[in-house]
Amino acid sequence: MQPFAIIRPKRVDQARELVVGKPELRVFRAGGVDLFDRMKEGIEDPELLVELRDALTAGVELTKDQPLVPVDTNPLPPAPRYVSAGALTTLAQLAAAALPGVDALHQAAGQAATPGIRNTATLGGNLLQRPRCWYFRNRELVCLKKGGDTCLAITGDSRYHAILGGGPSFIVHPSSLATALLALDAVASVFVGDEQASPQPVLPLHELFVGPEQDPTREHKLAPGDLLTRVWIPVLDDMRSAYQAVREKRSHDWPLVEAAARLRLDQGGSMRDVRVALGHVAPIPWNASQAAALLEGQTPSAKLFAQAADAALADAAALEGNAYKIPMAKGLLRQVLHRASGLALPE
Amino acid sequence: MPGKTKLSVGYGPNIKTINVELPPSEPRPWDTVDDMTVVGTPQPRIDGPLKVSGEARYTHDIALEGLLHAAVLRSPWPCAKVSRIDVGPAAKQAGVGAAIALVGVGDKLIFAGQDVAAVAATRPELARAALASIIVEYEPQPFVVQTRDAMRDGSPQVHEAAVEERRTGADEPGAERAQGKLSGNVRPGRSQKRGDAKRALNKAPVRFEATYTTQCHTHSCLETHGVVVRWNGKKAATVWASTQSIFGVRDEFAALFGLEPSKVQVITNFMGGGFGSKFGANASGTALAKIAGDLARAADKPVKLMLDRAEEHVCTGNRPDSIQLVKLGATNKGKLTAIHVQAHGTAGIGTGAGVGRNAASVYTKVPDVLVESADVFTHAGPAVAFRAPGHTQGAFAMESAIDELARQLGMDPIDLRLAHDAHPVRRWQLELGRERFNWDARRKAAADMRARNTRVRKGVGCAVSIWGDFGGTEARVTIEIGRDGRVVVKNGVQDIGGGIGTVMAQVAAEVLHRPVEEIEIQIGDSKLGPGVGSGGSKTTSSITPAVRNAAELAKAELAELAQTALEVNSTKNLRWTAEGVSVGRQTLSWADLCKRIEGEAIVAVGFRARNSAAHPRSFPGFETPEIAGAQFAEVEIDTWTGEVRCTQVLALHDCGRVMNELTLRSQINGGIILGTGYALMEERVMDPSLGVMLNANLEQYKACGVKDVPEISIVLTEVISGNNSTGAYGIGEPATIPTAAAIANAVGDALGVHVRSLPITPAKILDALEQQQRASQGGTK
Repeated sequence: MQPFAIIRPKRVDQARELVVGKPELRVFRAGGVDLFDRMKEGIEDPELLVELRDALTAGVELTKDQPLVPVDTNPLPPAPRYVSAGALTTLAQLAAAALPGVDALHQAAGQAATPGIRNTATLGGNLLQRPRCWYFRNRELVCLKKGGDTCLAITGDSRYHAILGGGPSFIVHPSSLATALLALDAVASVFVGDEQASPQPVLPLHELFVGPEQDPTREHKLAPGDLLTRVWIPVLDDMRSAYQAVREKRSHDWPLVEAAARLRLDQGGSMRDVRVALGHVAPIPWNASQAAALLEGQTPSAKLFAQAADAALADAAALEGNAYKIPMAKGLLRQVLHRASGLALPE
Repeated sequence: MPGKTKLSVGYGPNIKTINVELPPSEPRPWDTVDDMTVVGTPQPRIDGPLKVSGEARYTHDIALEGLLHAAVLRSPWPCAKVSRIDVGPAAKQAGVGAAIALVGVGDKLIFAGQDVAAVAATRPELARAALASIIVEYEPQPFVVQTRDAMRDGSPQVHEAAVEERRTGADEPGAERAQGKLSGNVRPGRSQKRGDAKRALNKAPVRFEATYTTQCHTHSCLETHGVVVRWNGKKAATVWASTQSIFGVRDEFAALFGLEPSKVQVITNFMGGGFGSKFGANASGTALAKIAGDLARAADKPVKLMLDRAEEHVCTGNRPDSIQLVKLGATNKGKLTAIHVQAHGTAGIGTGAGVGRNAASVYTKVPDVLVESADVFTHAGPAVAFRAPGHTQGAFAMESAIDELARQLGMDPIDLRLAHDAHPVRRWQLELGRERFNWDARRKAAADMRARNTRVRKGVGCAVSIWGDFGGTEARVTIEIGRDGRVVVKNGVQDIGGGIGTVMAQVAAEVLHRPVEEIEIQIGDSKLGPGVGSGGSKTTSSITPAVRNAAELAKAELAELAQTALEVNSTKNLRWTAEGVSVGRQTLSWADLCKRIEGEAIVAVGFRARNSAAHPRSFPGFETPEIAGAQFAEVEIDTWTGEVRCTQVLALHDCGRVMNELTLRSQINGGIILGTGYALMEERVMDPSLGVMLNANLEQYKACGVKDVPEISIVLTEVISGNNSTGAYGIGEPATIPTAAAIANAVGDALGVHVRSLPITPAKILDALEQQQRASQGGTK
């Protein structure tokens, strides 16, 4: 790690001002977990860290209010209430929040990393962290993400790489919160202006992330200086959700595959407003819309869940070393659907 | 008490009297008749408070006036010729005190991570930054990093000439030497032979054959390898080293720089793990002491070189991988008639791929056995001894094959083991484990879950270990008993984490009837007298007898003082207690007794004799005991996702006379945790097309975390063997040998199909299930 300076602006506009235009040398620091990893690994050597702890907020609450958004932008999905979480809310706070309907978020936040990291890592930082790909993280190697001409997973060891949406890069998106929040139909508030008071746009989570076909060197849409300030989750009446991951280790390990689902059970016992997401299978948090469509309006059943899992993975294409992820994702998604719907899992 | 004596030896209810002959210097070994009051009891580590408070100073913590920090430039290529090297620019960088080239133009580098150049600077980050300015040009050459690829004809050849086998004090004593000639990248190595296995296999009515593979496993010492070197003039040096062998470092350092060994002081006050990899001054894949010594000379300042985590993985050794073809022959009634193991493994550019002794020396009732192993050279960092070298690989394959054969024959795998293993202690352990682990009921429950094709499965498995007592005679322990009553025990042994200092205090306390906390232990410095390298699980059995013998000599001198003071005819009439020494109603306190010492102190030096006895069974080729062990494991598997977890391990181990039950259990826990990681998670991943290690960190190199540790129960099947004056022998290595094999067998029990490759990841579980399903569908067609 090379020496650096740190500055702590009081307001988001000041923070933005410090970073816009000098992206290589100046970076935001929230929890600093992934940032310090990259600095220690020698893959980034920023000169100035712009600390966000005074400019952004932490804390999560249930609210009926919606943010002001600029005219001609989309507001939040309609819902009687929203879970609203500041970008600096830690994973530990999200795990402990005990809010209705958002079990998927609690579970994703509570299972990530270690207690120490969960006490430091933030919501915003988790969503915007860089991938853990072992080619990207190796300072000696120049992969596609670092301006090289090919994704090294194609000729190399791809056991932890993408089976969906891959190419030309085959990283998997590292954020577990993104998987849960995508299933929860969450929306992010983004600060892109230069005045603190003016209404700022919101981005549905699926629009926040950038796939490798668009630009393999980045994972999200925010330009240098843009700040993710808050996340909103619509809380529907009778909403239920679940999240689960498969890991090789139980302590401090990245998932091999993760799945999350949100739904509502109507009075007839049918599933409504179903959303299904998969994580660590694709370069972006993966919206399994075919599975959701298959489940919408149906009564929960083990057979249906197996069909939905097949549908979710219908387009999967394995690399040399990751074919196992296909049956694993199917098995995991079936379990998550059982848990989200309340249908007992077979022993 | 020289000459012939009778000893009461044995285990459990099996006690017998044997005659032994003792050298004149040797006290009568503690046997089953001796009543221990301190030895064997659970004693917290005497240096525990220093360790948990952070006061303990490891090599990493050494800070000296003017200290420079070194960093090493390493080859980014798996195979390359150096066509240019210039360290000049680095010497001009900020804070740099010295920069040296470690290779010359024309030199061939044969693994990614090999030493190229080094820099010492006032701060570690300045040293690292200066490396970037070194100019090196490489001509990359063809390479091979995967074992199977390296075995093919026409594969790039790693070594052009014969390769000298490199051994350290951590290698298994007495292991056969590799003799074969290099052919391509393959050099036939050790073999163990009994009868004619090939002929017996041909005649066997039941045959079983399978190929087992194990991964390359890195030591991952929490404290990375490193030294601090300070020259004291041109001909003498002080070296702080994170090592398992203070005297090994001393001798190698002296040889590297042409010094008298006595002019090199080596200090290891505390060290953070070695597992076999920290034996010499240099590490197996990086000349760290040579580099630090040369930089310190060039800069005329002390130099610290501590490796980083990536270097620790890449160039300080590893456990070779293995590909083992196991063939078993048997009768229809389940009598094993032949075992043939053909093993290949890569120790990278180094030697040492072997498969231990489970196949050759556990199942001694099998008449015809052949175990052949070969080194396969690859362009990867050299292996080095790793906690039970060869044994964990061999135990996994052999114990798996036994279980698979039992399944094929419809037999209980414990019965199959008992029928072919003659070691009475291991047989006792298997029977005890069967009962304690509720084996029969759990096996039945597992079969029931398999039959019902449940989503979540459980299974149980067991496996056994063989190891020897390799305690040696080289240590010289000094005891000083001062006129002020102080007792100091000194030896230049290092504590690698097993807690030898605590055990030394216990033994001295036992002999002298003093409280453990009043015994002062001085270890970790070559100035304290010859110690022993901590490899081969021999520290306790080398050091504790020497402590006892020194304490007995000192006590004999005290006894003469007491005899005079208490006016008795013979020292035999003296009674030693915590209060002091008594005759009848007269008692002389310890303090008053010590005041009678003439001069400063009584000083006695003790050493242990060669082995006295090896009851009930000796290790093949040795006159010392064979150490038996058995472990039982339970796993839980989610068949939908492949998630696998080891939930319980029951470990039954023999470690001679227990010295400290607390640290002993702690070492067994460590062995099981290491074995669990080896079974399920740990694996060095090399990129086949780039030739570099991809997971040289502790994130993607997955060692057990706290939640991955199974519930561990330990049963100590203590054996009094008469081997030495305390009866201690080792546990470090035996404790990790059977774990992965037991877990693999439990996975086989849960699934009804064996996963023949370590680590047993969720991906491999899903693959095994898919193949099983395909086979059963094929069968119904």
